[in-house]
Amino acid sequence: MKLEINGVSVEAAVPAETPLLWVVREEAGLTGTKYGCGRALCGACTVLVDGEARRSCVVAAGDVAGKKVTTVEGLADNGVLSALQEAWLAENVPQCGYCQSGQLMSATALLAKKREPTDADVDAVMSANLCRCGTYPRIRAAIKRAVTALVGKP
Amino acid sequence: MRRREFLGGLGILSLGFEIGCGPSPIVKHARESGTFAPNAWVSIRRDGGVVVEVDKVELGQGVTTLYATLVAEELDVPIDAVETHYADSLPAYRTSSGMQLTGGSTSTRDGYLPIRKAAAAAREMLVGAAATTWGVPPAECRTEGGFVIHGGDRLAYGALTVSAASRPVPSSPNLKPRSAFRLIGKHGRRVEARAKVDGTAKFGIDVRVPNMVRAWVLHGPVFGANAISVRSDKALALPGVLDVFAFPGGVAVVAEKTWQAIAAARVIEVTWDRGVVAGLDTEKLRAAARADTSRGDEQLQTTKGNADKAIANAATKIEAFYEAPYLCHASMEPLNCTVHVRGKKVEVWAPVQSPSVVQAAVAEVVGVSPEDVLVHTTLAGGGFGRRTHADFAVQAAQIAKRVGRPVQMTWSRESDMTQAQYRSINFARMRGALRADGNVAGIDVHLLGQPLLEESIAAFGDALPFPRAFVDTIRGLMATNTLPDLGSLEGFDNTYEVEHRRIAFTPIRTKLPSYFWRAVGPSFTCFALESFIDELAHAARVDPFEFRRRLLPVGSRARRVLDMIAPAWSAPKAPGVGRGIARITYAGETEVAEVVDVELVAGRIKVRRVHVVVDCGLAVNPDIVRAQMEGAVIFGLSAALDQEITLANGVVQQRNFDTYPVLRMFECPEITVTIVDSGEAPTGVGEPGLPPIAPAVANALFALTGRRLRRLPLQKELDVS
Ligand code: FES
Ligand code: FES
Repeated sequence: MKLEINGVSVEAAVPAETPLLWVVREEAGLTGTKYGCGRALCGACTVLVDGEARRSCVVAAGDVAGKKVTTVEGLADNGVLSALQEAWLAENVPQCGYCQSGQLMSATALLAKKREPTDADVDAVMSANLCRCGTYPRIRAAIKRAVTALVGKP
Repeated sequence: MRRREFLGGLGILSLGFEIGCGPSPIVKHARESGTFAPNAWVSIRRDGGVVVEVDKVELGQGVTTLYATLVAEELDVPIDAVETHYADSLPAYRTSSGMQLTGGSTSTRDGYLPIRKAAAAAREMLVGAAATTWGVPPAECRTEGGFVIHGGDRLAYGALTVSAASRPVPSSPNLKPRSAFRLIGKHGRRVEARAKVDGTAKFGIDVRVPNMVRAWVLHGPVFGANAISVRSDKALALPGVLDVFAFPGGVAVVAEKTWQAIAAARVIEVTWDRGVVAGLDTEKLRAAARADTSRGDEQLQTTKGNADKAIANAATKIEAFYEAPYLCHASMEPLNCTVHVRGKKVEVWAPVQSPSVVQAAVAEVVGVSPEDVLVHTTLAGGGFGRRTHADFAVQAAQIAKRVGRPVQMTWSRESDMTQAQYRSINFARMRGALRADGNVAGIDVHLLGQPLLEESIAAFGDALPFPRAFVDTIRGLMATNTLPDLGSLEGFDNTYEVEHRRIAFTPIRTKLPSYFWRAVGPSFTCFALESFIDELAHAARVDPFEFRRRLLPVGSRARRVLDMIAPAWSAPKAPGVGRGIARITYAGETEVAEVVDVELVAGRIKVRRVHVVVDCGLAVNPDIVRAQMEGAVIFGLSAALDQEITLANGVVQQRNFDTYPVLRMFECPEITVTIVDSGEAPTGVGEPGLPPIAPAVANALFALTGRRLRRLPLQKELDVS
């Protein structure tokens, strides 16, 4: 089947029911998207499908044919980090970092929907992503920082 | 000479073997490669690049930034100019009790001086080389931005690598005085963070070795079960599936791709035996512990004064029984290990906390000597103690031995939880008494739990740098209760001045392995002690803060930290808020005090605010100290509120994050961290923030509701009635 991942067309010889997670990791070779639970419980595998945050461990590859998939590798623009990625660095968010691709994808989907999310919006969306290292306070701060950077721009 | 062989040689040097005549390995290496490597940690390339070998695993605790900071500081280069590389398993790095090991919050404490010295030695040799070139005294030279400078003359480090290599390596180079620090003690960005936000960071699960295959593992319902029979014909017919076979402890499904192995695993039928813990039941363990009031045959840690008599004669007596469940680590990155067995040589790529333990364990499986096993440590998606164990590497080696190609074995989350190395179930019978004046007359502690040290010594096995006979003797003394298991018992002292004290331990021996879990013994002992101190305070009708203060030695660090949390303790609070306090002296070195504000919302415990004060000596990177406190509080809250591993008839009941919940953002409290400004040597910060959180919350709930919750997890205990 043919998939579009980060704007690149990827040909994958996999059964349609294969979880998108493994197609991204092993067929497209994009290892930033992580396996954490396999059951849509942790968010480590979060990617965007047509802009929506989806847990790729439970999305069948066959269901995203013809749709645009974005992974963490697709957030930066020619090496220029997104406002969220920059904010993540400024707030020293990552500890082990394993959950952070998923966190960034969820946050990216959130800001795409709401330019200025409330604390409750942030909690609601970001609670889908577990962080065992406990970086939540910094994720909150980083989202605020990114919003300021984005909204402050002309 | 390849760098690895060269470093291996340095390891021998550091063990004191004489090298014959001819140029030293350092000179030879510099001449051949242009790289100046005066020791196993720091090297400088011809192009001026500074590289530090990080011989600890990056688990998120910030050790990469630590090493880069220390080296950049002493070498006078910008921190961005330092490249970090994760060290392979080599003799030179066996610096933690004779092993290469990351654990126990020791990396900063143990690395602070040696890594600075390694860099300072390099700097001194570079300066010496430049000074000789110019014919000036080295003392007249200074260093800045990767150059040695004298007046208007400058020489780049990269131009000095060969000449510096032939100078003697100073054994005690001058270290920078604290007043000259540019980086140590200052806010700085984490050096490995960029790769963690753009998806390029490589964890164990991301290792790609040419010609590699994947293995998914099926584990039985009961811990440690072996397969009796395997029906795999359907699986073997699927595309990409290479092999399905039973090995001790599981069934391996080997395929070209992980998704092929997972799909194949679904159609394999396995009959399992009853495993090693058949019949183990946590409810039965609880009942037995409650019934065990025996005295006399316990392991004794402390007897000070006469606690029995002091308690018997006291005006007010209190007795309480505390409990905590088995826990698992549930690091975000599931356990995985990539192994390639090539005849008598084995290569391993994995996120591990002890390459030495892995070398020994894998060597035994494959039938080679530990030196023939080379371990490449990758980034680790959390560890919390779990990755000091080699059980998963052993399974990967068993599979790789049969397969012949490099194999990447990944455990499912379900395997991670059901085949874990658990924090022990724990019970503490606490007895204490108050004199008529309200002061503590005595405290008597009887801990029951799995013997951590005894079991972990067995797990470390041949990796320990002691003869087998010695290790066996130690274990024998513990098994006969002659030696106390200090790992399990750690934390009951907590710097309190109590005249009469007795601390004893009765091991509970099951075949379910217990192991190091973040903060180890104090993850439970602090809950029992700090809750009990609170009970004593309330019985004495003394403010819990003040009660603790009276028990702490005047002028102690512990008391200073407690005093610093006083404003949080006495700040005004809204109605409906309960406030609790707890503190710890962690491993005799790091002091932490915490104050929490708690509410009950529709029966759910909501922790609103956590104040942390920490004294960890000099904070090399204050923001990482803060992050570790935040992380430890949140990790501890997950356990305090919700987590437990229970067994029914040998079967672990929790299999994924739905039944073993991790705190999510909407329940994350606001956390404020204050770091004591200290000139003392740095101490560990990865664990000490964790133990006080559970008792602080329990104490806050008592303040709020008048109910004393003595069993973790607290939410379940609250719901019981
Ligand atoms: S791996 Fe997909 S949500 Fe956890
Ligand atoms: S940073 Fe480690 S799990 Fe989130």
